[in-house]
Amino acid sequence: MSDPIAQLIFLIVKAILLPVLIVLFVAFVIYFERKFAGFFQARVGPTYLGPWGSLQSFGDIFKLMSKEDVTPARADKPVFKLAPYIAFIPAFLVMAVLPFGPVGGEPNLFGYRFDYVIANFDAGLVLFLAMCALGVYGVVLAGWSSNSNYSLLGGLRAGAQMISYELAMGFSVVGVMLMAGSMSLVDIVDRQAGNFWDWYFIPQIVGAVIFFIASIAELNRTPFDLAEAEQELVAGHLTEYSGMRWGMFYFAEYVNLVVVSAIVSTLYLGGWRAPLEVLDFIPGPIWLFLKICVLIFLYMWIRWTIFRYRYNQLMSIGWKVLLPLSIANLAVTAVVVSLVG
Amino acid sequence: MGLVDIVKKGTFVDILRGMSVTGTYFVVDKVTVEYPKEKLHPYPRFRGVQALLTDPETGDTKCVACMLCATICPSRCISIVGEQTPDGRSHPAGFDLDLSRCVFCGFCEEVCPEAAIVMTRQYELATFDKNDLYLDKERLLANQVYAHKELFAHPGERGAPAPAAAGAAPGTQEGRRP
Repeated sequence: MSDPIAQLIFLIVKAILLPVLIVLFVAFVIYFERKFAGFFQARVGPTYLGPWGSLQSFGDIFKLMSKEDVTPARADKPVFKLAPYIAFIPAFLVMAVLPFGPVGGEPNLFGYRFDYVIANFDAGLVLFLAMCALGVYGVVLAGWSSNSNYSLLGGLRAGAQMISYELAMGFSVVGVMLMAGSMSLVDIVDRQAGNFWDWYFIPQIVGAVIFFIASIAELNRTPFDLAEAEQELVAGHLTEYSGMRWGMFYFAEYVNLVVVSAIVSTLYLGGWRAPLEVLDFIPGPIWLFLKICVLIFLYMWIRWTIFRYRYNQLMSIGWKVLLPLSIANLAVTAVVVSLVG
Repeated sequence: MGLVDIVKKGTFVDILRGMSVTGTYFVVDKVTVEYPKEKLHPYPRFRGVQALLTDPETGDTKCVACMLCATICPSRCISIVGEQTPDGRSHPAGFDLDLSRCVFCGFCEEVCPEAAIVMTRQYELATFDKNDLYLDKERLLANQVYAHKELFAHPGERGAPAPAAAGAAPGTQEGRRP
């Protein structure tokens, strides 16, 4: 078997396995979100289905599938039906450029070289930003096509919020880009080789914090869940959705959560690399998984602690604080990189 | 916005303080009572479903069919049919209580000169059959098992039941307090 054919087989295996594993993981992320929501409020969360309620998500999926899928009479039907997929697919596409282990080098599997990335793409970071922007269309189109006041307001809010925070997100990512000298996520992880003090979250601490805050806004999570503010907008863009279509939005949100956590750990926390070189014997995917879990826990902790910002506060944080700070961070990084490197 | 304010916001002091609060809740004992598996034990003065007590000496009901409870009942849910026993005592032939109308005010217990009708701790009264809410004399007597233990402390004593002490007798404290 020649190497290109082996690579093709590996590619197919990776392209099937990674989304399936992430979908399974997401089912448990949803369970843990509910469990931890309880814990943070001194409750116990789901307890009935499976040990400690761990199969709750699967029960929910069956419930959602058995429910009626209502389409409002005056909705823009093709768009209404398409919107969940538009929200769903971009989240998965980012996984393609995500390195979850060493790439290149010696043959390591049955005499062939197994790259722990689906596509070693030179502009992976740009793809991530593009897919983030594309995911918003799902929300905006859902809000528009539902033909409901609440949905429309939710969709508009989501659109405005994403535009505001995407700028800060983009600028903070450029700092990493300059330091690594590459837009490929594989190269960015390679440049963070070594111990945890070689990771980019120390030189790029401002960028990392800005990216983290902006990613909460991108994920539509509290304190930036203006798009589905229950008290004002019923459920925002989700108001008219029911059954599994609603479930797909919900699912996409959590796939996004996992993917964004993976991107944060890749950009700032050394990706699949061990925190100390002596721990390198533990394989890369496990380290990436642990980092994703820690970040998801942090996202949950923040969600169940801080309440929603008012809309003007959201906008002034985005435009008056995060954007100038991220530009300043970029300028300083550019000067330092050009002087030192 | 002063300098202190900027430093506070830049270091996320308030947010971290909030997160320490929720983080504490994350590890402390949970307040949830998982109801069907785990039940709260009501306080002694709790007013649950009524019971008719029997006299431990004679084994017969303490009730003398004086009609005070039926008279004072604000929702008129008690109906009694009195009769004379051969030894000349007054005695209830029928004692019916309609729980679907009862407001659990406890007046019947307060007014009873014989301490014969009492409110118990039983609160799980939900049912699928409306007839289950119509308690006749037999079922009211059977409800004695739910009555507070201190009601039996002085058998044969006439008058109101002994006031429940703040901490009721040990052994009645199974389960958690609300």
